[in-house]
Amino acid sequence: MIDRIAGAVIFMVSVSAVWVARDYKAGFGDPLGPALFPQMVAAAAALLSLGLILRPDPNPDAQPLPAFIRQAFTLAVLVGYVLLLEPLGFPLSTMLGTACLALLFGAEPKKAGVTGVAVGVSLYLIFDNLLGLPLPLAPATFG
Amino acid sequence: MDILNSLIGGIAVAVTPLNLALAVFGCFAGTLIGALPGLGPVNGVAILIPVAFAMKLEPSSALIMLSCIYYGCMYGGRISSIMLNIPGDEPAIMTTLDGYPMARRGQAAKALGISAVASFVGATVATLGLTFFAPLLAKAAIHFGPADYFALYVMAFATIGGVTGVNPFKTLLAAMIGLLLASVGLDPGTGTARFTFGSFHLYDGFDPIVAIVGLFAVSEIIMYFESHALSGAGPVKLGRTLPRLREVFEGFGASIRGALIGFVCGVLPGAGASLGAFVSYSTEKQLNDKNGTFGTGDPRGIAAPEAGNNAASGGALIPMLTLGVPGSGTTAVMLALLVSLNIQPGPLLFERQPDLVWGLIAALYLANVVLLLLNIPMVGIFTRLLSLPQWFLMPVVVMVSFIGIYSISHSTFDLFVMIGFGLLGYALRKFDISLVPVVLGLLLGADMENNLRRALSISGGDFNILLQSPIALAIYAFTALMLAFSFGIAMRRRGPRSAK
Repeated sequence: MIDRIAGAVIFMVSVSAVWVARDYKAGFGDPLGPALFPQMVAAAAALLSLGLILRPDPNPDAQPLPAFIRQAFTLAVLVGYVLLLEPLGFPLSTMLGTACLALLFGAEPKKAGVTGVAVGVSLYLIFDNLLGLPLPLAPATFG
Repeated sequence: MDILNSLIGGIAVAVTPLNLALAVFGCFAGTLIGALPGLGPVNGVAILIPVAFAMKLEPSSALIMLSCIYYGCMYGGRISSIMLNIPGDEPAIMTTLDGYPMARRGQAAKALGISAVASFVGATVATLGLTFFAPLLAKAAIHFGPADYFALYVMAFATIGGVTGVNPFKTLLAAMIGLLLASVGLDPGTGTARFTFGSFHLYDGFDPIVAIVGLFAVSEIIMYFESHALSGAGPVKLGRTLPRLREVFEGFGASIRGALIGFVCGVLPGAGASLGAFVSYSTEKQLNDKNGTFGTGDPRGIAAPEAGNNAASGGALIPMLTLGVPGSGTTAVMLALLVSLNIQPGPLLFERQPDLVWGLIAALYLANVVLLLLNIPMVGIFTRLLSLPQWFLMPVVVMVSFIGIYSISHSTFDLFVMIGFGLLGYALRKFDISLVPVVLGLLLGADMENNLRRALSISGGDFNILLQSPIALAIYAFTALMLAFSFGIAMRRRGPRSAK
């Protein structure tokens, strides 16, 4: 069943890709133009997704709810980290992000905190100072 | 003795202090990455590519470091197979079959020693093969025209699933998804913005490295909670660290056979290290399993697959370097590295940048010796690092990936793209759709399209040109054969399963 849903989604995406690409105009001395290759690929993808709809594999095992909740939180931490990276600066946001991830991966709160601080500071020192890779340091509000 | 001269030139490149240090570092980091479950060679190399940029390395130095990581991963994968019964990476699965039972019997040091020697044999055979066959293939490939290259790309995508028996529909579909993603951005021929939906950020298309780190590393983090969550069994005791010299050479014959089989598997398109290990193990079992000792801790059952996977991963470098068509996930990632360094792999690479190619080959010989030293006398370090808690390792991996990607363009947009690819990778893995063809599609899409368009502008739009060259025809015939084979296997597998 899950294969059929995936197949249907890919089918719709590829058909719309063929449709979107119809406006791309060919240049001079370029008989193929920018449209044909993506259209060929999208058409092949559409056909193959039909194969998925017609002959799906058995469903994979559904994951338990706790795993799903942790996955959702992990994703939220990753997105939150990127949003805060420039406003908070690298060391601070990395401390927060690492600590949260460590918690999600089952660390005790105290250890997670220590890991966060240690990783945030040491990665900043290694990459910014040692390897000369400029990372945003201070909160943007301070300039 | 053209090759020997070139090799001597290569050694001169490889033994500069910086390159030597990078090689040793790469071997160490690679063994560690390979040994840690959940971090395979693809992840390891992908995460460290941006780091290599950040260090502003010369192309040859960057390539040396990452190839040593690649070889190191292949050595390291066996450590957790033997100690934890969890393969450190995919090709090391076969090693668990006999490695873990041996370790349980208190022969962990012996098992690690045998597999290290087998890895050395495999990798050395492959590096020798690379030295002698790659220049030959490069010479032949100079005669390839655009239509032949197009055929070559078709073959790469059609055969990437190989004979692994995964649903071939899904593998092909994965390749198409990758090719479609590759066409996002400004079309180089006409400047038309394709599938950008008005976003200027997308005009450059997707950076393959951003996509790779997302697809593999980020999706691995999300997947982690499902796959590894509760594997609590601690490592077995190592006991004596140093095996006896005589013990280590048990299964030496099996290593040689495994290495030769693995090398052939590696050079073939779409096969790679996992298949090399698998075919070597099953061949050895059919040849020599007279007392039914395979699977209960037979030394030959460790030697054959370890030699096989190391030889295959070395062999996989040949099509990547000479044709620009990688045969496996990790070599695809290394191709991404070369492309980002503005180096176009292909037959001309050997003529135009001999320092780079031969420096790499010489470094691989050196890496092998370093790895053997790291993996027999110093293997205790790695088994101890295996007990580092996951709640420490995983966040560090995430943060290093973020730094690496951020350093490419200093924009948070790339980081969001990476997370997006992480979600896509997670979804594809849930659907049992392999990620390697997606990456290959993304990497090779532009070249595949360029060759097609070049061929058709030569012929003035006549599609027959694609079938006029004998080289292309031969490639298509081989492709059709491989496809028929993999569909055949898939159908046979499906039979009994649906009958249940």
